[in-house]
Amino acid sequence: MQSASHLTVYNARNPHMPIAPSRCPRAAASLLLLLLCLPAWAADWRVPEQQLAAKIAAASGPGAVSLQLNNRSSLTRTESDAIRRGLLTELASLGVRVVNADQAAVTVEVSLSQNLQNYVWLAEIHQGANDSSVVMIATPRPETPAAAQELSALNIRKTLLWTQDTRILDAVVVPGNPQHLIVLDADNVTLYKFQDSKWQPEQILALAHQHPWPRDLRGRLLLRKDHLFDAYLPGVYCRSAAATPLMINCYESDDPWPVGIDLLPLDAFFGHTRNFFTGALAPGIGKQTTAPAFYSAAPLPRDKYTLWLFAAVDGQLHLLDGITDQTAGKLGWGNDVTSVHSGCGSGWQVLASGAADNGTDTVRAFEVADREPAAVTAPIDFGGGITALWTEGEGINAIAVARDSETGKYAAYRLSIACGQ
Amino acid sequence: MRRIASLLLAASSLVVPAHSPAATRPRYGGTLRVAMRGAPTSLDPLGAPSSDWFGSRNLSRLLFDTLVLLDNNGKPQPALATSWQSEPSNQRWQFSIRRGIAFQDGSALTSDTVAASLRAANPSWKVFSVRDAVVIERDSAAPNLPAELALPRNSIARRDRGKISGTGPFTVAQWNPGKQLFLTAREDYWGGRAFADSVEIEMGKSLRDQAISLDLGRTQVIEVAPEQLHRAGNESTRIEHSEPVELMALAFAHDRQSADDGRIREALALSIDRASLNHVVLQSGGEPSAALLPNWMTGYAFVFPATVDLARARQNIAGLRQTAAWTLGYDANDPGARVVAERIAINARDAGLSLQPTSGNADLRLVRVPLTSPDAYVTLAELTKSLGLPQPKLAANSNSEDDLYAAEIALLRSQRVIPLLHLRTASALQGTVKDWREARDGSWSLPDVWLSPGTAGPEKP
Repeated sequence: MQSASHLTVYNARNPHMPIAPSRCPRAAASLLLLLLCLPAWAADWRVPEQQLAAKIAAASGPGAVSLQLNNRSSLTRTESDAIRRGLLTELASLGVRVVNADQAAVTVEVSLSQNLQNYVWLAEIHQGANDSSVVMIATPRPETPAAAQELSALNIRKTLLWTQDTRILDAVVVPGNPQHLIVLDADNVTLYKFQDSKWQPEQILALAHQHPWPRDLRGRLLLRKDHLFDAYLPGVYCRSAAATPLMINCYESDDPWPVGIDLLPLDAFFGHTRNFFTGALAPGIGKQTTAPAFYSAAPLPRDKYTLWLFAAVDGQLHLLDGITDQTAGKLGWGNDVTSVHSGCGSGWQVLASGAADNGTDTVRAFEVADREPAAVTAPIDFGGGITALWTEGEGINAIAVARDSETGKYAAYRLSIACGQ
Repeated sequence: MRRIASLLLAASSLVVPAHSPAATRPRYGGTLRVAMRGAPTSLDPLGAPSSDWFGSRNLSRLLFDTLVLLDNNGKPQPALATSWQSEPSNQRWQFSIRRGIAFQDGSALTSDTVAASLRAANPSWKVFSVRDAVVIERDSAAPNLPAELALPRNSIARRDRGKISGTGPFTVAQWNPGKQLFLTAREDYWGGRAFADSVEIEMGKSLRDQAISLDLGRTQVIEVAPEQLHRAGNESTRIEHSEPVELMALAFAHDRQSADDGRIREALALSIDRASLNHVVLQSGGEPSAALLPNWMTGYAFVFPATVDLARARQNIAGLRQTAAWTLGYDANDPGARVVAERIAINARDAGLSLQPTSGNADLRLVRVPLTSPDAYVTLAELTKSLGLPQPKLAANSNSEDDLYAAEIALLRSQRVIPLLHLRTASALQGTVKDWREARDGSWSLPDVWLSPGTAGPEKP
């Protein structure tokens, strides 16, 4: 096949992009994170305005026209007003004056419409009783910017880290200057560097695996002290190199996944063809080495033991303390739970997924004084289904991934509990 | 410290508001039972054409894969092909084939089998394998070839001594042609094993029988006619529908014979009250349109006026020595078609035209044509093929809305077809069916569907 400069190509992203030397001291930088996570997006309509104005002018010729603009698209009123102003300016520069309808021989009806991928702007140009023509331009619809940051009045702070079309399994922020973000998906671990006010891709590391991934794919990223990170996926364990340029080695492995946090470690075996943990624990909780098969787990430290909450496959919440296994029936919780050490309230909270009245998923914080979960925040909405909820390594924050029910995009958020707000 | 679970339950119900249903992860297991009107007698994507195109398309996706899939925005995404590229002329394309895939009969997917399958579906294409890739050469530019390859007829199949095998997510356990199909999930499916263990599809069921079966809990998924679209779901069932994906139109048997003939055809188009047709006959289950392609695909369909204009219709035929008395054919097997045809005849009479509905041969026919792809270019080409119209004339590397509009308006100006409505497809589901994601084009994604606890079998790691 000949090479050419204008090939139509679909190719997977290129792995092993070069990485700049990275120093990532793991210091806290939460405030900076709030500012840096958000790719700014502001529409510039000048080019499509110029294109449409040129086509209108070519069809109508110079002179006086009346212009009406209808917005049939998802553009906001503010945007359509701005586009109207821009069009008037461009038309004027081409010698087309916009006047009242009773003073114009030519009527131009502009419609801002859209299809699956583009905005489609049309102008129906009427000259006389039966002489009309249609001109149009198309311009790509920009990625819908997700809400930058939503501060819940009820104390869960949700900060957008990253959005992408493909399913995000986990994400983690690497503190430092510059900060880095690692995103795990089905095909790659991608490292981003915060630069020029946005996350810039720095290196893509392809994941190798021999067996097909299960549906409802899950995975976990953990920062490490002696190397940058470990990634756990069904039947696969990946370990990054310690030094740059960053490399990753993936192995077929049935090793258990860490389901706890640094302070409260616990490993559990994951069913590599399914979407849940088998219940086999390593090393176990006190005398208990098995739990019911479960989707997620959350530790809550007590004075002399750790209470572990398991969102079990049987739909119940199981509470294991090293001796007993109690069930808490219909709490209305979803299948994803995790815990955070916020320092607020009793110090630890459980974050649990749930369902809002509109059918989208929520996350809400609970405290479990004895065995009785009590809600301590309002639920926060994610505009779609929660597909992952993990505690970040040190246990202060959590990472939630949600699939937007309208756009189908996946978004990773950092969740933290804000005290007394 | 350790209190009994019943106390926990009682206490928790006081402090935690009940959310129903909770946000749950998909469950594995269970049998999904589906009913459909279509009664295909072959599972081969190249088999005899079925009157139920959408049903056949959805069946095909359970057993077969295509090289490319279109996402909900109509963008080509990798399926059996992992990457592709074309030469600048868009006549020669190369697709890299995913490795490690097996057909349901156990044989490996190779570039040779892919090439053979595509040649069988497209005899006019030149298709050959090159190592792990397949090269397709077309007579003319095919800028939308990836989208074309996502059509069900381009499903990759291995045909061997009368047996057909695909690489899809399910395998056939039992097949009673035209009546019943029983499928089981493939553990080794490259896209991940389906959540349901099996799917049971009953075919040839009338919509009424399907509704009864759903009410009795014998079936979990049924089809819903456009006029039933707004039927309220209840606590145990819900309705999911696509974007408008079917064109209802009047198709003339012959080209325009004369200028007068053209004026009469235009008068007929102007006389039809599409809004009433949609509102009264179809219970607002469609969208009135004078365009071939719906607005969600093109963004410009609204510029074709779809409103009734009896004054212009009458003016059009005023002065003509003679207006034709046409017959309007409709499908006698479609219970709603006769009602629609009769209403159009009444509209035509109001304009001074004579139109006689008949279920036999006719001067023009009431047709329902599936819009086969979310890609507007591919759909327009397929639509014209179905209607027996000349293929749309597009620039060699055209891929713009401007050119699409020009091609569509040229087809409409031929006056061989009068668009009436765009219709949706819809399904009614029992509440136990989860993650049913009806795509914009109405296609199902059954591997992602799961059954809520109580209907699914036990989880097995």
